[in-house]
Amino acid sequence: MKPLRHPFWQAVAILVIAYLLIAYGIPHLPQLVGMESAPVPGSVVLQYMVTVLVGVLIWVSDSDERWNRFLEPVRATMVDGDKRWLRLGLLIALPLLVGLLAFRQVRQTVAAPPSLRSIHPAPPSSITFRGRPLNLAGLDNPLRADGSVAEDYEEGKRVYYQNCLPCHGDGLDGRGHFAHGFTPAPLPFNDSGTIPQLTESFVFWRIAKGGPGLPKEGAPWNSAMPVWEDILTEEEIWAVIVFLYEQTGATPRTWAEAGEGGE
Amino acid sequence: MRRSASLAVPFLAALLLAPASLVAQDAVPGKAEYDRWCAGCHGVDGKGDGPGATTMMPRPRDFTTGRYQIRSTPSGALPTDEDLTRVILDGMPGTAMPGWRDHFGEAEVRDLVAYLKSFSPFFESQPAPEAMEMPSAPGADEAALAEGREFYQKIECNKCHGEAGRGDGPSAPTLEDDDDLPIRAADLTENWFFNGGGSVEEIHERLVTGLNGTPMPSFQDLIAAEFMTEEQLWRVAQYVRSLAPEEPPVVREVVRAGRVEGDLPASVDDAGWDLAERYYVPLVGQVIVRPRWFSPTVDGVWVQALHNGSELALRLVWHDPSESPDPQWDEWQSKVLALMAPADSPADASPDTAAAGASEQGPLSGSQADTTAVAAASPGASYPDALAVQFPRSIPDGMERPYFLMGDDRDPVYLWRWESGQQASELLARGLARYEPLGGSQPGALVAEAVFDQGEWRLMLRRTLDAGGIEDRLGFEPGRAIPMALFAWDGSNGETGAQGAIGSWYFLYLDQPTASSVYVTPALATLLTAALGVVLVRRAQRRARNDA
Ligand code: HEC
Ligand code: HEC
Ligand code: HEC
Repeated sequence: MKPLRHPFWQAVAILVIAYLLIAYGIPHLPQLVGMESAPVPGSVVLQYMVTVLVGVLIWVSDSDERWNRFLEPVRATMVDGDKRWLRLGLLIALPLLVGLLAFRQVRQTVAAPPSLRSIHPAPPSSITFRGRPLNLAGLDNPLRADGSVAEDYEEGKRVYYQNCLPCHGDGLDGRGHFAHGFTPAPLPFNDSGTIPQLTESFVFWRIAKGGPGLPKEGAPWNSAMPVWEDILTEEEIWAVIVFLYEQTGATPRTWAEAGEGGE
Repeated sequence: MRRSASLAVPFLAALLLAPASLVAQDAVPGKAEYDRWCAGCHGVDGKGDGPGATTMMPRPRDFTTGRYQIRSTPSGALPTDEDLTRVILDGMPGTAMPGWRDHFGEAEVRDLVAYLKSFSPFFESQPAPEAMEMPSAPGADEAALAEGREFYQKIECNKCHGEAGRGDGPSAPTLEDDDDLPIRAADLTENWFFNGGGSVEEIHERLVTGLNGTPMPSFQDLIAAEFMTEEQLWRVAQYVRSLAPEEPPVVREVVRAGRVEGDLPASVDDAGWDLAERYYVPLVGQVIVRPRWFSPTVDGVWVQALHNGSELALRLVWHDPSESPDPQWDEWQSKVLALMAPADSPADASPDTAAAGASEQGPLSGSQADTTAVAAASPGASYPDALAVQFPRSIPDGMERPYFLMGDDRDPVYLWRWESGQQASELLARGLARYEPLGGSQPGALVAEAVFDQGEWRLMLRRTLDAGGIEDRLGFEPGRAIPMALFAWDGSNGETGAQGAIGSWYFLYLDQPTASSVYVTPALATLLTAALGVVLVRRAQRRARNDA
């Protein structure tokens, strides 16, 4: 008898394949498109497996003939004299397995509360910079007005190396030599998900007001991003913004792309 | 020191020639990448004086000297191209020098190496350096480590690195590199921060070749002088490797305080701590509010926690080569302050900022701006070592919690602060180093015991779980995630106030007493399944007999 023709072994095969796909296959999907991934939580695996099991049972019980063939090996194990040891083994192993699963459910587990943080929350429409009101909507980098940014790049480089380096790193990859001390980690600028998506006005707001300037959904209490208006001048901030874009080869989002006055 | 690199004479001669070899570098391959990615630290002229240099200790390498640390070549010699390639790709862990493996292709690195060499006339004037033949590693066992330990003392590694290898030897406070800048003797228990890598082979290579430009000598001449054998030098490398853990510590977000029945460990070195899980919390320089601090001593704290339902005890262990204040380290302190303080002296604080109210848009009150009012360290004064454990004033229900740098005016934090030579105190803080006494708290309510032992502080802090009805004083509740953060200061490194080592929020979780249901439920499930199985088998067998 070919095992894989037999509905019992087919059912077993389906369950095993489903388990492998859910527990080990799915976590690889995001990586294919270059996204971060995490293991599938046990409770989710359990849910999916129950669904698959119900599906398989419906399928095997769909026709009487298949159902009877499906039950054959089960019955044989319970009844046949030559399967006595297998029977005994299963009668001991299965209850222990159930006990173990139950223990894993009820024992004390400790996980950090989930921290749901919006990385790019909506910016305010205006701020005060060192006490002076500044309208963010429609604001462009004034240093770009004269057409050349070569000098501003050099100035921005100085500002960056003296201030931003320990966190955001000299590769602008968020891996400075102090970055490992901070959660959330300093953001990488060479990532398509950060500054290329933002207007320079948004970036100015983030630099000027830092972590503490974030709205609640940005979890301002956790962010190590300093409030740079306390340390840098307005010019220095615009210059470092020029540096961020030039050094990574990214272009800022324009107001036309951003739509009416918002992100 | 006796054996330090002797490049001085050719160097002086070459100084006169140097300008000639620096001309016409414009179209040189490697220059563009260098100017773009390396010059910010190493300077456009390779002198190690880029704009970022003043925020670093150790300072970026001055390529015009031809002195390189991570080499496969004899002491005092130039590095090979492979040595330079490796340092560029892997960086120098424990310093600001990053690894560029993800950034450059092979050809770019080759051009960079050629360009770095062009900064120093020595690569032209001296024969091409050659890698030394390294004997292969002998197997290591207990006896080998004991022999390594013996030679560690015999050849005076302990003078600089200390008996336990924590960088606290008697010479440590006086060490200077060839540019007369203060330099730390490496903490040999943290091999993940070794500049040239932490494997036995890499350590052995450092011992054979020395680190040119630093007080860390080569020991090859001791083999030549038949003071020790090649194998014995390997033993030292193996012993040094054994001082550090197998793997670098893994950072976990939740510090679990296990529950003990009866008494908590009575002292900081009580055997009761042996069973408590150890958690590593990395700390880094406070580079967020002024006055900033770019070269902290403490790079991490090991935390253990236990409670017994009425009291909580924390055991905190960290490395610090000096038991501050310690006059032996006074010189070190003034050298470090002279080197690092100008990078961010409060003098260049713009006067108009303090009033700005940093973040009127955000939910935090922005009082961090006022930290400029916290005095920076001054070279003449002496400071204690200190450690602070920060909690919110009450366990938060949602995600919200105080600003991680000791809160602010709107949401202050509840703080335990210990200083060497003093009792620990319970405080309220409204921003970094803006402490206030906690109203109504009794002296001695927080019990501290500290031991300084060969470059290591071990501190136990103990308090009742119950807040005792005192306002702003956190009550610890088992079964809940309690935000916790750590701060540390090394007084002899000029650290005080806002200038020290800081970390992010973590969680402290006090285990609940194990409910009986944790054991009863699985046992019940096992029994029920077994009974069900037996019944099913019985029935099937009966039916089979009837059928037959
Ligand atoms: C102490 C570490 C630290 C320093 C120093 C630092 N940052 Fe940040 N920065 C962070 C962290 C952490 C985040 C991510 C959390 C957040 O968004 O607030 C961040 C986020 C940012 C963002 C937001 C990016 C985005 O996609 O929204 C910008 C822009 C930024 N930093 C610019 C700078 C600039 C410019 C400097 C130097 C003037 C600097 N940072 C210095 C830690 C730091
Ligand atoms: C963030 C600042 C920084 C940047 C950017 C940087 N370095 Fe370094 N580099 C350092 C520091 C600091 C040291 C010295 C560390 C020490 O002395 O322990 C160093 C040392 C070196 C050394 C000496 C290694 C030795 O064996 O002594 C080389 C070679 C080097 N860097 C090459 C480069 C190259 C090439 C680049 C650009 C691709 C670069 N660095 C970018 C900070 C930097
Ligand atoms: C005169 C003082 C002195 C003596 C003696 C000395 N060291 Fe060092 N050692 C240093 C200093 C300083 C450093 C740090 C160099 C740096 O950071 O660039 C260092 C660094 C190291 C490192 C780290 C290398 C790396 O890749 O960063 C190891 C390992 C080490 N020493 C082992 C030893 C051993 C083993 C001995 C004895 C055989 C010894 N040292 C003797 C001063 C000394």
